[in-house]
Amino acid sequence: MSEIALEMRNITKTFPGVKALNQVCFQVKKGEVHAIVGENGAGKSTLMKVLNGVYQADSGQIFLEGKEVKIENINKAQELGISLIFQETNLIPQLSVAENFFLGKLPKTKVGLVNWKYMEEQVTSIFSQLNYKIKPKEVVVNLSAADKQMVEIARAISRNAKIIIMDEPTSSLTDVEVENLFSIINDLKKKGTTIIFISHKMEEIFTIADTVSIQRDGEMIHTAPITGLTSDQIVEWMVGRSVDTEFPARESKIGEVVLEAKKVCRKNLIYDVDFSLHKGEVLGFAGLVGAGRTELAETIFGEGKLSGGEIYLHGKKVSIKNTTQAIRHSIGMLTEERKETGLALDASVKSNIVIAKLSKLCFGKNLFINRKAEKEVADQYVKELKIKTPSINQTAYNLSGGNQQKIVIAKWLFSDADILIFDEPTRGIDVGAKHEIYNIMNDLVSKGKSIIFISSELPELMGMSDRIIVMHEGHKKGELLREEFSSEGIMKLAVS
Amino acid sequence: MTEKGKKLDIVQVLLNYGLIIALCIIIVIVSISTENFLTVRNIINILRQVAPTGIMALGVVAVIVAGHMDLSISSTVTMSGVVCVSYVKYLQADVKGICLALLTGAGIGLLNGAIIANITSKKGRKGESFIITYGMQAAIAAAALLYTNGIYMNLQEKSLHSFFGKGYVPIIIFVLTTVILEYVMKCTPFGQSIYYIGSNEAAARMSGINVKRNTMIIFTISGFFAAVAGVVLTSRVGAASSTSGNGLELDAIAAVVVGGTALSGGKGGVMKTVLGVIVMGVLSNALRLLNIDTYPQMMIRGVIIILAVLLDVFATQFKAKGGAKA
Ligand SMILES: Nc1ncnc2c1ncn2[C@@H]1O[C@H](COP(=O)(O)OP(=O)(O)OP(=O)(O)O)[C@@H](O)[C@H]1O
Ligand SMILES: [Mg+2]
Repeated sequence: MSEIALEMRNITKTFPGVKALNQVCFQVKKGEVHAIVGENGAGKSTLMKVLNGVYQADSGQIFLEGKEVKIENINKAQELGISLIFQETNLIPQLSVAENFFLGKLPKTKVGLVNWKYMEEQVTSIFSQLNYKIKPKEVVVNLSAADKQMVEIARAISRNAKIIIMDEPTSSLTDVEVENLFSIINDLKKKGTTIIFISHKMEEIFTIADTVSIQRDGEMIHTAPITGLTSDQIVEWMVGRSVDTEFPARESKIGEVVLEAKKVCRKNLIYDVDFSLHKGEVLGFAGLVGAGRTELAETIFGEGKLSGGEIYLHGKKVSIKNTTQAIRHSIGMLTEERKETGLALDASVKSNIVIAKLSKLCFGKNLFINRKAEKEVADQYVKELKIKTPSINQTAYNLSGGNQQKIVIAKWLFSDADILIFDEPTRGIDVGAKHEIYNIMNDLVSKGKSIIFISSELPELMGMSDRIIVMHEGHKKGELLREEFSSEGIMKLAVS
Repeated sequence: MTEKGKKLDIVQVLLNYGLIIALCIIIVIVSISTENFLTVRNIINILRQVAPTGIMALGVVAVIVAGHMDLSISSTVTMSGVVCVSYVKYLQADVKGICLALLTGAGIGLLNGAIIANITSKKGRKGESFIITYGMQAAIAAAALLYTNGIYMNLQEKSLHSFFGKGYVPIIIFVLTTVILEYVMKCTPFGQSIYYIGSNEAAARMSGINVKRNTMIIFTISGFFAAVAGVVLTSRVGAASSTSGNGLELDAIAAVVVGGTALSGGKGGVMKTVLGVIVMGVLSNALRLLNIDTYPQMMIRGVIIILAVLLDVFATQFKAKGGAKA
């Protein structure tokens, strides 16, 4: 058990303007679940990409079971039995599950054709080992986030990986799916597979990890067995100071109704949902995956077609046909899929921040963008939200996952919308920054704005909302006031 | 480490300014080996030559930045040319003819845009613009043929239209269109949104950008610019025919790409395109002055286009080095 499976020694990696890893030393024992925690941009993903051959370290050594290895590329890593499940999934959406499994080395029949039957059998047998049901022929586009995650894990197992790295695997999974994942991890562990697990969620770390390593600003600060540590201690190491993990108190006056939905329907997705949102209120939406919360929010934002029902803003009936009109009505929506709909990865940090409200930066009637003002705005948000980037002209692609999420938040803060829809705003965000986002939300409502808050994390939903609406398969199942909040109560409604 | 840094800098410069350096090399070589190259007359001549394709390239660069493609511009050039010449010549309606030609171009563009915006807005099926504008190209070319009956139409002397091709006028129009488009793309929220649409259309839509409307506008711009090119071209050549635009769309697109605008969208721009247009123009002129035969000329042009694209791809990869997909 105490055999060393992996050692990384003095790893340094720099990007233009960023020292992502600084003399990092890192040891993992065989067959353990080793968690890595750290703030957004601390270098966790980079360290794992070095281990997986995606990046080459500027200096440093890697040892596997005591032998030094050079990992030039992902194929080499695979040969050595290392498999990385990326923070952003890495499957090819147009291909089937089976094809993704055997990507790059499709098995052949005797006459040289692709051996589909063998592929399907293999995939089916691995999924049955995992007790998970996915059709090998299913095209990846049609899979849920959890399914995709599972396909990646199964693929890693099929390659006989000895070390499986999971970079924030749970950020788009529901509680049940997380439990399922954990039981799979435990099985793998029993079989002697070593797991490296990155997460921002402390409960998960304490549930699954044997050892935890804490990374800060590109350095490895501490490695210790999880037993005997407390969550507060870990967080303190992460951020270098103690952090309040309570939900911040709010001073906001709840005023008149600003948005009212009456019997809102969207074809095959939403059925007769009523709700009202008040000035200065955080209205939470709870539900499982497929509950229709995102679809409802999109409908209000003009992205999905209202097939029945009415929407009122400040008492007046409105018909919002597209997102442009929604923004004109002062509605903003932070979407849950940052890579697909949240930002343009190859655009700069700056242009991603200002894009939703360019008119605010203009001289004259939209005639000239004031580049100086644009720069100031971008600088201000980078500072305010502590977005870790060498410059506002950096391509968003090069930022860490959590810092990309902060750009999306900045975009909607800049938009000045009065009604903000936040769909999973804290996904991939570190503990300290989460707290800052809660503060920002409080600040917004105390200024008289209203927030629709969709989250799959019940603690934050209960901690931040004034009221919670629970949905299930497109129907509204109930509405709870603050004093009625309880996880059991919400879950009961959510599954009914 | 510092040595390595320095080496990187040189590569960086080479990659960033490769095209300008290449242009300078061509100029130096050709001016040494021929006498007539670096003369004011020849330079004016080059600029007059490239103006119509240049104007087309400017129109299509907006479309390309948005991640689309417009192959119909060659037929638009033809169509606007014949519309213009026939009105001016047979109806003696100068201003009306020119306006009608420009409107025809804008109309074709709008039609392209309307179709493409409606099929791409939800599914992100951007590639479709390639084939739809190809269809449009064929249809409009046929329409122009029907309209002219294949007859060659000479220009009306001393008309307002004949003025567009004279002396510096094509160059002035090219410069004007450059300035206008550069302003639109760089200084206005509209231009900024075009870049954003090119980078990620879904994110643009979810940021409140009216993707449908903007897509229609850029295709309209592209059609309109092609019509301007058609008016200038017919005036300069002195005639319009049902084939006057043939093949020009690829020259224009090649100039855009040689200039460093990526066909994948989101990157590139107007000034780069102007540079691409000039490089291609200088190259043709130089090859002609050097008395190189037509076929080797075509080969050299082909090779240069491929090299320019490779250069751009390497430059991008180089910048992203240490940045593989994750
Ligand atoms: N390809 C790249 N080019 C430039 N900088 C990069 C690149 N990849 C990462 N970085 C920078 O390196 C630092 C570490 O990033 P990394 O993705 O490893 O962070 P992380 O710890 O995984 O954060 P998160 O919790 O947000 O996912 C960040 O400041 C990031 O901006
Ligand atoms: Mg990361």
